[in-house]
Amino acid sequence: MAGNFWQSSHFQQWVLDPPELFKNRQADLNVLTEDGYQKIMIFFANFIQSLGEQLKLRQQVIATATIYFKRFYSRNSLKCIDPWLMAPTCVFLASKVEEFGVISNTRLISTCQAVVKNKFSHAHPLEYPYRINLVLECEFYLLEMMDCCLVLYHPYRPLTEYFKELQQDESLFPLAWRIVNDSLRTDVCLTYPPYLISLACLHIACVIQQKDLRQWLAECNVDMDKILEISRQILALYELWKSYDEKKEIAAILEKMPKPNTSPTPTSAQDGSQQSQSVQ
Amino acid sequence: MQREDHNIHYPFCQDSSKYEKLCKIGQGTFGEVFKARDRNTKRLVAMKKILMENEKEGFPITALREIKILQLLKHDNVLNLVEICRSKATPYNRYKSTFYMISDFCEHDLAGLLSNTNVKFNLGEIKKIVQQLLNGLYFLHSNKILHRDMKAANILITKNGVLKLADFGLARSFSLSNKGNPNRYTNRVVTLWYRPPELLLGERDYGPGIDMWGVGCIMAEMWTRTPIMQGRTEQHQLQLISQLCGSITKEVWPNVEKLPLWGKIDLISGQRRKVKDRLNCYVKDQYALEMLDRLLTIDPTKRIDADTALNHDFSGLIQCQSI
Repeated sequence: MAGNFWQSSHFQQWVLDPPELFKNRQADLNVLTEDGYQKIMIFFANFIQSLGEQLKLRQQVIATATIYFKRFYSRNSLKCIDPWLMAPTCVFLASKVEEFGVISNTRLISTCQAVVKNKFSHAHPLEYPYRINLVLECEFYLLEMMDCCLVLYHPYRPLTEYFKELQQDESLFPLAWRIVNDSLRTDVCLTYPPYLISLACLHIACVIQQKDLRQWLAECNVDMDKILEISRQILALYELWKSYDEKKEIAAILEKMPKPNTSPTPTSAQDGSQQSQSVQ
Repeated sequence: MQREDHNIHYPFCQDSSKYEKLCKIGQGTFGEVFKARDRNTKRLVAMKKILMENEKEGFPITALREIKILQLLKHDNVLNLVEICRSKATPYNRYKSTFYMISDFCEHDLAGLLSNTNVKFNLGEIKKIVQQLLNGLYFLHSNKILHRDMKAANILITKNGVLKLADFGLARSFSLSNKGNPNRYTNRVVTLWYRPPELLLGERDYGPGIDMWGVGCIMAEMWTRTPIMQGRTEQHQLQLISQLCGSITKEVWPNVEKLPLWGKIDLISGQRRKVKDRLNCYVKDQYALEMLDRLLTIDPTKRIDADTALNHDFSGLIQCQSI
């Protein structure tokens, strides 16, 4: 199923304006620093990636789930719905939409429990708290908030097309693909159309491999300023990663995160994060 | 109401109370359908309620497919999806809102028109309907979508005579399978009377041909005015197909013996193909008979596709007529 990006809800409703995005974040940014907010978003993208890998989903399904997650919080504060619940909900919905099938209820929850226990106990020392009934309810809010805009376009397909045209060294492609994966940890997937993201990723990959792409890009007749802006945001992510140890720092950031008033186990969750702090 | 409110773009679902329900007009694959009116614009719409049947599945995958497909495919011969609405979450519905798909309202459906003896179709009108049906299907198939529920009741016609394919509750995207890796789609699709032989024999790796068989049944119905093969069971349906299209054998359909139910269902042998003979008392146009013969072909690989059918002599003449 291909369809036309320019007529899609993705292009028409979901390429957001950066100032608008920033404005919608204000409530959270009163509590968190911009840096802290981005780290939370990176963290949950990692969580979704781990859930997806554990469930053996294709990368496209994981990318869709990640963007659903970012769409929800692009218009809602983190305290509206606990991201620990929103993450598996996005995976559950994305798997259905991308024709990967319905993930069974028990498998989804047991995967959350296993992934939290084995990989994210530094951030969530307690057992994963949510049950399927909450995921199913959360799915409604997610669908409603997205206005049922389900179909997403990712940079992977245009990347494949461009690469065919470029006739470059084989090693360039997996590198550019990984940069696309990384771009899911920035805002570019909310603010730029996917074909521009794929060009920017290709551009970065060429710079890394010291290949000159400028001539070809010029012939593509695209807005070079946008390509450079996307590249800048992705490079800023790499800069951040250089000096950031998620395992050490995330618990403290998550503790500051605005939380729903009616958390299922408010007191014990607090105890938990204090515990992890004192361990450090 | 404040003026500036109208300038703000809300991405959220609209509240379903913006529509006033007028009456129930039908039952779709996964929900009731109402005729309704936009309270502001007075525009008439159809509202399809999305039923949550299987609680474990969450929001039904069939509804997700239909929404996805209709949002993606905008074509003159595909029913236009206006928007998705939801009812307010209140304590009365345990804070679970109901979702509605809002689409353009069409005055008629083909099943209703065919059963109404006051409505007569001349050859030109039949051609126009078949051509629009093929146009819509060509668009779907070239976008890699199967409708999977072709029948007269799912074909809507506006008061201006524009045909709209509707009810995508069973539709899905498909890919052409490669040899080592066959598709495993469900074969429990398509209303029995319109179900092609490959589905009845348990094929799971099927393609656009299943919709084209339905076109054949519907096109014949334009003259017979009643579904041409009204089986009671799957076995009976296969029997009716053999009686019309000839016995299902390895000769007319190579590789049929590889289908899951081959040998498990009794097929009648010795039947001669009599599509044209049986239909020529209704259908006087030779091109129409020829096209029906190509549509109701037992072997799906030899069945005519939408593109070829649009270039068939039967379709060709409409283009001349309409100029």
